[in-house]
Amino acid sequence: MFVGRDLTKIDALAKVTGKAAFSYDLKTEEMLFACVLRSERPHARITNIDARAALAVPGVLRILSATDIPGKNVYGAIRKDQPFLADGIVRFVGEPILVVVAQNETVARQVLGLIKVEYAEIPSILSTTAAAESPVHVREEGSLLALRTLRKGDVERGFADADVVIEHTYKTQWIDHAFMETEAGVAYPDTDGRIVVRSSTQNIHYKRAEIARMLALPEERVRVLQATTGGGFGGKLDVTVEGFLALAVYHLKRPVVMRFTREESFLSNTKRHPLHIEYKTGFRKDGAITAVKANIIGDTGPYASYGETVCLRVPVHAAGPYEVPNVHAECRMFFTNNPVAGAMRGFGIPQVAFAHESQLDEAAEQLGIDPIDLRMKNALKKGSLTATSQVLSASAGLLETLRQVEPFWRKRRKGRRGNGFGLGCMYYGIGNTGIANPANADLELAEDGTIILHTGACDIGQGSDTVLLQILLDTINVEPRYVVLDRGDTATSQDAGSTSASRQTYISGSAVRNAGIKLRAFLEQRGFYRGTPLSEIYRFAKDEKPLRFDGYFDPPASGIDKETSQGVPYVTYGFATHMTEVQVEEATGACHVNKVWASHDVGRALNPRLINGQIQGGVAMGIGFALMEDFVPRKTRSFDTYYIPTSMDVPEIEVMLVEDPEPTGPFGAKGVGEPALIPQAASLINAVRDAVGVSVFELPCDLERLKILLERRKEKT
Amino acid sequence: MLQRFSSLRPQSKREALACLSDLEDPVVIAGGTDLLVRMKKGESHRNLVDITSINELSGAAEHNKHITIGCASTFHMVSNDTRIRACAPSLAEAASWIGSPQIRSMATIGGNLVNASPAADSIAPLLVHDAELTLESKDQVRTESLEAFIRGPYKTSISAAELLSSISIKPLDGYVEGYRRVAKRAAWAISRLSVAWAMALERGTFADVRLAIGSCTPTPFRARNVERFLAGKERKPGVAAEAVELCLAEIRSITGERPTFVYKLPVLRDLLHAILGGG
Repeated sequence: MFVGRDLTKIDALAKVTGKAAFSYDLKTEEMLFACVLRSERPHARITNIDARAALAVPGVLRILSATDIPGKNVYGAIRKDQPFLADGIVRFVGEPILVVVAQNETVARQVLGLIKVEYAEIPSILSTTAAAESPVHVREEGSLLALRTLRKGDVERGFADADVVIEHTYKTQWIDHAFMETEAGVAYPDTDGRIVVRSSTQNIHYKRAEIARMLALPEERVRVLQATTGGGFGGKLDVTVEGFLALAVYHLKRPVVMRFTREESFLSNTKRHPLHIEYKTGFRKDGAITAVKANIIGDTGPYASYGETVCLRVPVHAAGPYEVPNVHAECRMFFTNNPVAGAMRGFGIPQVAFAHESQLDEAAEQLGIDPIDLRMKNALKKGSLTATSQVLSASAGLLETLRQVEPFWRKRRKGRRGNGFGLGCMYYGIGNTGIANPANADLELAEDGTIILHTGACDIGQGSDTVLLQILLDTINVEPRYVVLDRGDTATSQDAGSTSASRQTYISGSAVRNAGIKLRAFLEQRGFYRGTPLSEIYRFAKDEKPLRFDGYFDPPASGIDKETSQGVPYVTYGFATHMTEVQVEEATGACHVNKVWASHDVGRALNPRLINGQIQGGVAMGIGFALMEDFVPRKTRSFDTYYIPTSMDVPEIEVMLVEDPEPTGPFGAKGVGEPALIPQAASLINAVRDAVGVSVFELPCDLERLKILLERRKEKT
Repeated sequence: MLQRFSSLRPQSKREALACLSDLEDPVVIAGGTDLLVRMKKGESHRNLVDITSINELSGAAEHNKHITIGCASTFHMVSNDTRIRACAPSLAEAASWIGSPQIRSMATIGGNLVNASPAADSIAPLLVHDAELTLESKDQVRTESLEAFIRGPYKTSISAAELLSSISIKPLDGYVEGYRRVAKRAAWAISRLSVAWAMALERGTFADVRLAIGSCTPTPFRARNVERFLAGKERKPGVAAEAVELCLAEIRSITGERPTFVYKLPVLRDLLHAILGGG
């Protein structure tokens, strides 16, 4: 049995020895270097571009603009609306305008300064308020990207039934993914005349389609491979370097390499949506939640990216992991001239969890109910109706996660002044919301008697390579030495969908299991389990049929109503409870996290150590979100001012797992990648409230904001 | 992008001074944790004179009851040197908070002073210790107090041909001293505010107080009004409160009201209360 064991990540040795080849490691001597000239204006018409001086510099081969794009100059995960290269108008600082291709990086970057772009300013829309009110629109179609609503029951009656109503507005900030490896890739023409792109990415089939559309080529003429990838968190779902690389190879027919500097990454990459959350909860005296009303406004920047995904996920999850009979939640996403906001770990739910968990703790205090009892009373469980009126028929372990944390909660003792404890709960739908999101996986019996797993699922560090192999090994009951992994190549795999939405273990894992069951039946029939060697089976069978076994899985979610969002958006959900202990120094406003207890219902822990790794990383990211990370558009340029936690900011983390099996998941598993993060900031902010008695309504709760809140409270008393 | 430059690695101070006086557009590199960042942003120099392999410029020694610290001493060394830890614990403490372990192994005390950032951690404790700097060029040696040396944010009196060769400080025998910095995360962060202090107490009264504050004003400064006020006064909360008000007033008189003071001044108030009031 390999499932359930702490199998070492199959890429661990290559990574710790430095042998793993990240994109830039694939650079060879003959490769040209490409870099991007970006807009310095948030909103302007380009009136003139003079690149003559740059083109005259020895070593500069080509400067590409929108007019050099033979196909469609737009891309986008949900709707195709973002130009690869600006076509006359720029809509944010950092928007790509030109691609310079030169002999080497030094020349390419140096000549950027010689290119003169003249702009005619257009008034900029830099806030959602401006977007809603200004006659100037960032986009021709208007300022609103999307409006999604969830309606369940009758909220007004729910509030009428309430004894206590809590109502506040919460605000969250722009966040950068800050992955360790910046965007990078290589591309070259292969001997079959295809354009090959190998990059740091979370999806390959999607990118192949975008490149093919841009170049007006059939998809077969483009091959996309995933290089070893140093983190993604949603920031490598959109096209980054891939379009530019392919365009350069298309025109120059020579190999090209790109890498973004950290400053470029900050400037150009998508960000977590800053949300403005007006939130109201009604409670009866006994603690039962009677109603939730949430009005949420998000800044999505000038292009859609994953804005609509967040816009839908937010109302669907707005009421939190609780039984709430009456819910009215609305989310609006506005176009602005700020950076493009896109996918980032949790798709808006870490922001929303901060709001609903803050409300719960304030209610607990007013009601005189222990925060853990209040959560237990309202927790979703098997048989509960969610906010979308979906019946949870299985794998709903929120109560068990609360029970695992409970002993630590009950015996907590506040030490010196400034010490405090907080809870945060969450639930999170695994996979895309209410739409098909299938994965394929193929198994092949090769001539040498090995079984090859072909998967398009990108391992971005989280460990899908290892987990998919564990699933395969147990499904076909063979030793690891028989199995070879072929991952992340559009030439050899079918689409597995993106590595996002905590979906690969659950969906690609099920596809692998599906293929494995077919292979197992075949091997059974051919006597493998009675001792016939695989190479012999291959020899006998190769002429009868292709020795390839297709696996497929699409979560059977029936979808939701467009107007009310009622229905089944996901087949399964992750559930979690985090408890955080903090120490606040009132003199400085500095908050230090002493310890985190994290309990997650993962369905089945296929590899507990990898889950532990996800949770450790999620907690660290949540600490950054809660306490320090703050991207200020057009100001933040580098890690000089964008603070992310160091190892000194991350405490001991006690991980506990609940295994309430998901019947449709591989061996009962679901997902944990995003759940690991979602309740962390919420529980931390509740701990701050417990520690010093101030409510924080805006993130980050950095030392300055907290000190000022403490000062204000002092003035009042 | 880094511009082209030559790098020289003299093996003696004399050789280094010759480089600085004879070469075109020279600059001292003493670790490079500031210089290289600036050069990557476009600052250019023809000749980098790397002084980090000159033994005589590194380490701490005692002469005539003074501690002399070589300019090329890294912060790792400054924070761990037993002599500095005994005679200037506020400096050792400040050094231990600079950057990350990697940066402390490269960055030097001389570099920190010549860079003269308003947030430089080493400045406040050195001001408390009345640091005297030795500046040498091929044909001249001069000494200057640190206070006079720093002319403004990122501005000093050093000339291109000069090397800040050493820093001399007086141990403060009989004093209690310390350093406290406030930063946005637990490590590897620029000081938002820092305080270095040394106090000589006699039977519950302040015999002598030295107080230096960093990251608040264009250059770290000695709060001499506060020091004079406290001399001879009893150490009690009321006195501390008055001293704190004086200090905040002194800061406002230097810079006027600044947006960051909404945060910084209440923090400084609370930290000084604890330090001076003995809380």
